[in-house]
Amino acid sequence: MLGYVFRRIVTTIPVMAVVALLVFSLLYIAPGDPAAVIAGDQASPEQIAHIRASLGLDRPFLVRFVDWVWRILQGDLGTSIFTNLPVSHMIAQRIEPTLSLMVLTLLLSVVIAIPMGVMAAAKQGTWIDRVIMVLAVLGFSTPVFVIGYVLAYVFALQLSWLPVQGYTPLADGFWPFLQNLILPAFTLGGIYIALIARITRTSMLEVLSQDYVRTARAKGLGFGTVLFVHALKNAAVPITTVIGLGVALLIGGAVVTESVFAIPGLGRLTVDAILRRDYPVIQGVVLLFSFAYVLVNLIVDLLYTVFDPRIRY
Amino acid sequence: MTASSSQELAIAPEVAVAPELPEIWPPVRRRRGFLGFVLKHPTIAIGGLLILVMALIAVFAPYLGTVDPTALAPARRLRPPSRDYWFGTDMLGRDVYSRVIYGSRVSLIVGIAVSAVACALGMMIGLLSGFIRWLDAILMRVMDGVMSIPSILLAIALMALTRGSVRNVIIAISIAEVPRVARLVRGVVLSLREQPFVEAAVAAGTRRFMILWRHIVPNTLAPLTVQATYISASAMITEAILSFIGAGTPPIIPSWGNIMAEGRALWEVTPSIVFFPAIFLSLTVLAVNLLGDGLRDALDPRLMRRI
Amino acid sequence: MGMNRRDFLTLAAGAGAVATLPAPAIAKESETRVLRFVPQANLPNLDPVWGTQYVVRNASLLVYDTLFGLSSNLEPKPQMCAGYETSADGRVWTFRLRDGLYFHDKEPVRSVDVVASLKRWMARDAMGQVLKDRLDALEVVNDKQFRVQLQKPFPKLLLALAKPMPNIAVVMPERIANSDPFKQVAEYIGSGPMRFRRDEWVPGSRAVFERFSDYVPREETGDWLAGGKRMELDRIEWQVIPDAATAAAALQSGEVDWWETPIADLVPLLRANGKLRVEIADNLGNIGILRFNHLYPPFNDVRVRRAVAMVVSQDDYMHAVVGSDDALWRPMPSIFTPGTPLYTEAGGEILKGPRHWEEAKRLLAEAGYNGEKIVMLVATDIGITKGQSDVTADLLKRLGMNVDYVATDWGTVGARRAKQDPPSAGGWHIFHTWLAGLDCTTPATNIALRANGRKAWFGWPSSELIQTLIGQWYDAPDLAAERWVAADLNKAAMDFLPYIPTGFFLAYQAWRNNVSGIVKAPFPVFWGVRKQ
Repeated sequence: MLGYVFRRIVTTIPVMAVVALLVFSLLYIAPGDPAAVIAGDQASPEQIAHIRASLGLDRPFLVRFVDWVWRILQGDLGTSIFTNLPVSHMIAQRIEPTLSLMVLTLLLSVVIAIPMGVMAAAKQGTWIDRVIMVLAVLGFSTPVFVIGYVLAYVFALQLSWLPVQGYTPLADGFWPFLQNLILPAFTLGGIYIALIARITRTSMLEVLSQDYVRTARAKGLGFGTVLFVHALKNAAVPITTVIGLGVALLIGGAVVTESVFAIPGLGRLTVDAILRRDYPVIQGVVLLFSFAYVLVNLIVDLLYTVFDPRIRY
Repeated sequence: MTASSSQELAIAPEVAVAPELPEIWPPVRRRRGFLGFVLKHPTIAIGGLLILVMALIAVFAPYLGTVDPTALAPARRLRPPSRDYWFGTDMLGRDVYSRVIYGSRVSLIVGIAVSAVACALGMMIGLLSGFIRWLDAILMRVMDGVMSIPSILLAIALMALTRGSVRNVIIAISIAEVPRVARLVRGVVLSLREQPFVEAAVAAGTRRFMILWRHIVPNTLAPLTVQATYISASAMITEAILSFIGAGTPPIIPSWGNIMAEGRALWEVTPSIVFFPAIFLSLTVLAVNLLGDGLRDALDPRLMRRI
Repeated sequence: MGMNRRDFLTLAAGAGAVATLPAPAIAKESETRVLRFVPQANLPNLDPVWGTQYVVRNASLLVYDTLFGLSSNLEPKPQMCAGYETSADGRVWTFRLRDGLYFHDKEPVRSVDVVASLKRWMARDAMGQVLKDRLDALEVVNDKQFRVQLQKPFPKLLLALAKPMPNIAVVMPERIANSDPFKQVAEYIGSGPMRFRRDEWVPGSRAVFERFSDYVPREETGDWLAGGKRMELDRIEWQVIPDAATAAAALQSGEVDWWETPIADLVPLLRANGKLRVEIADNLGNIGILRFNHLYPPFNDVRVRRAVAMVVSQDDYMHAVVGSDDALWRPMPSIFTPGTPLYTEAGGEILKGPRHWEEAKRLLAEAGYNGEKIVMLVATDIGITKGQSDVTADLLKRLGMNVDYVATDWGTVGARRAKQDPPSAGGWHIFHTWLAGLDCTTPATNIALRANGRKAWFGWPSSELIQTLIGQWYDAPDLAAERWVAADLNKAAMDFLPYIPTGFFLAYQAWRNNVSGIVKAPFPVFWGVRKQ
């Protein structure tokens, strides 16, 4: 087991290297010029060239890449071109909001979606199944920002139950923290709930058709017990996989959700950095995302052994 | 990402190609003909019908009572829906109805083209890495790398490389979707490679290309078709999100995404600008997803039997 | 109903989590000393010499102090300076700093700090460079005094020191000011009324300013950047809300107190809310511009620029920018800001009256335009830019020109417009932006006017006449003389068309009723603002 974990971590290194090279070369061929953005409306071409040189942006590709990798190996993600702050500091500031949003969304989605999926599978073919599935597909089919605006309008502006925007750190109290995250989590959760509900239904249907379920039913076990104990446990593997894969989806949705609710998270940081061509920040964040993705999938793989003892590494 | 890779999404690759066992359940009377098909696969029928309607709207946009969707008329800005302007007007006085109707073109083209491009590229990469072992490691690491960057961020970054145009949006979204297809195809190839009929063909000296073409490609088509529908659904949503962020299709070519993006700041004042394209987009994506679900059930022999 | 739903929920939750909630009494008292402000854009840094965005300038005005400050009638008034003496020939200026000036690190402000700061500023600012060219010496007399010696009189010296148009001549400690003007400073230490809380700064989201207790305001009442900057607040929190709909909602629900740039179309909505006030932000407003690339055909030919100017409808542009409210804009066949001393419409006929489509088409044909692609850079993420571009695309199309609408983000426009390559090889023909009305009050601060060829602002117009006239303005001894020059300059600009002004427009600002003391200005003025 430990050996497996170790091997898995080692195999992530080439992935990270690919990502690093990919991101770096992508940015290198990008036409935007941070020097021009920094210099602002007032600058002359000479001044821009001067700024570019002072940022080291005029050095050749390979030199910059090697320099960058070398620093990363020393744990230095570099300094933001615009704010002059260390990238690691900027990321650290923004991890809490994004992580909180994602964890809450995840919890919410699982709590809502799995019963939905199980229900749909149990009542397969009935109107309950249809309604649940149409709801799920609808969650999939509506752009995140539309859901966000509608929720904010109804629950924040009209009913005044929750704040419209912003983020309160957990350190300032749990309720203020939660208050600010509820609407964003439901917004972001829409697509995720849909995804999990669907996969749950499909996996459950598959499991329910297996012989041992029929046997269990024949033994006289209650339908509920069969559903939630036997069947769900066996359907857990594909469900976990989708939850893991969905993390990438969540990060994408977080970009939009954070914009709509003005949450100072990583998604917004990335988009701002891309739009301004703040190279060190883009590189740092994307590297972090891919690392998180690899990590989540490792955890998912390890969870398999919990749900299905037949799987061993 | 070794164990998880082959079981992505709902369709496990082996399902579509598992050798059929003889039907042992009592035969059910099956209705034939169009009606029979509709009753048996209601989701395909509903999804297909909706998509057909949208496609007709897109094709016949100029004949549906529309005006030039880019014609500015600053004097009649932000009108609510009325008899003259069915969906109202936007902040530049353009007719939202015409924009939404014409916008169906871009959104549908993006949906179709992205799934075509992603499937073609993904198929190629999947086949190559499934059949050429030394290439497999390299290609799959690259795919892992691409996949580990959230697809929306990747698309935003790619759009930042270039200018907003429908073509570039298609390319940017496609690239992000390629790895999923590649993995799916590779999974099928790997599971088939060891099958007796493939081994037999290899032993008989059939050229690799022919094996791929005759035995493997046909077997990937079913899962790929299902995957393609999901990709086109998510591509249409991604297009809207790119527009929201300001990295989507140029505003002079209306798309549901950019109509909503332009009107979003005013949604409390003139909700019609966001509302109507949102309805069209949601309906279309819903239809495509329904079609995908239907196809999945129809093409999946194990599940099909019970429906 | 005394208690709304939200209060109830707060209480209900509070019962379970008393320990985590701040005591309400304390919260209430300090609440009125904290102002939550939504700025026009994210604050990317706090070096107003290095970065020239308006948002950097606005934050810098809180943190740094200037030697002179512009008053609301556009006159430079002493701020950090107690007074000055001028020699009879106007070539030697001796300035004296007022007492009680301290930096935020508690060090006193000395002449060496001022001299180092001015040197850094002169390297970057356009007016600063003119000053530098005329400079004989800039030297410290003693801790409180410094001297400027000029080769040639510079009547605009005080304006240069006072102007809030970027780059601004702020005073930093010597050790910081001695750094490379092209590199961002490492520390943000000023001597202004508010201290920057760097530890609470989350770029892209939040910037916090705290009252600097050792700041001694001037005796006079505050008037823009002149007079006493008396802070009635302990803390100013800038909350960046990039989404306009969200910012509007936050203001309506009372989560923020003051929104710097509400978009015009949301104003009726905000006005309908009884707890908000919405007013014009700044009577000097903004000026939209259509900028040509003067290096390449067809716009290197003045006839083609004139053809466009003949058909431009400032009505259309302004509707696209400010919406339906006609009180918010006015046509301006001028390069100067309406309502300011130098405003003139001399030579502006080309932008006034009925539009001459036939003549424009004839001029276009005469200039030999035959369907080449016109590359227009459009930042679709900036509403004002996008709105103007959509109008221009429509206009050029009707004029028979072939428009290539390059939709991209501001980051790309910023980079691409700096390229002097041919439009077909990565360059461009047209882009839109806008200038602050304040910047167009003098020829020196209007960047789009400069016509010194490849050294000029993007678009690189080349006109000796315009350059000569700008030079004459620098030497104009009084307002009458300045007006003469301005009229000539306007004629020259309307004839040569370095850019086309697309109209003068006003913007709004909105705040909660419990905030008072907000004034009209081209930048948010926080001193004198109170909250109840």
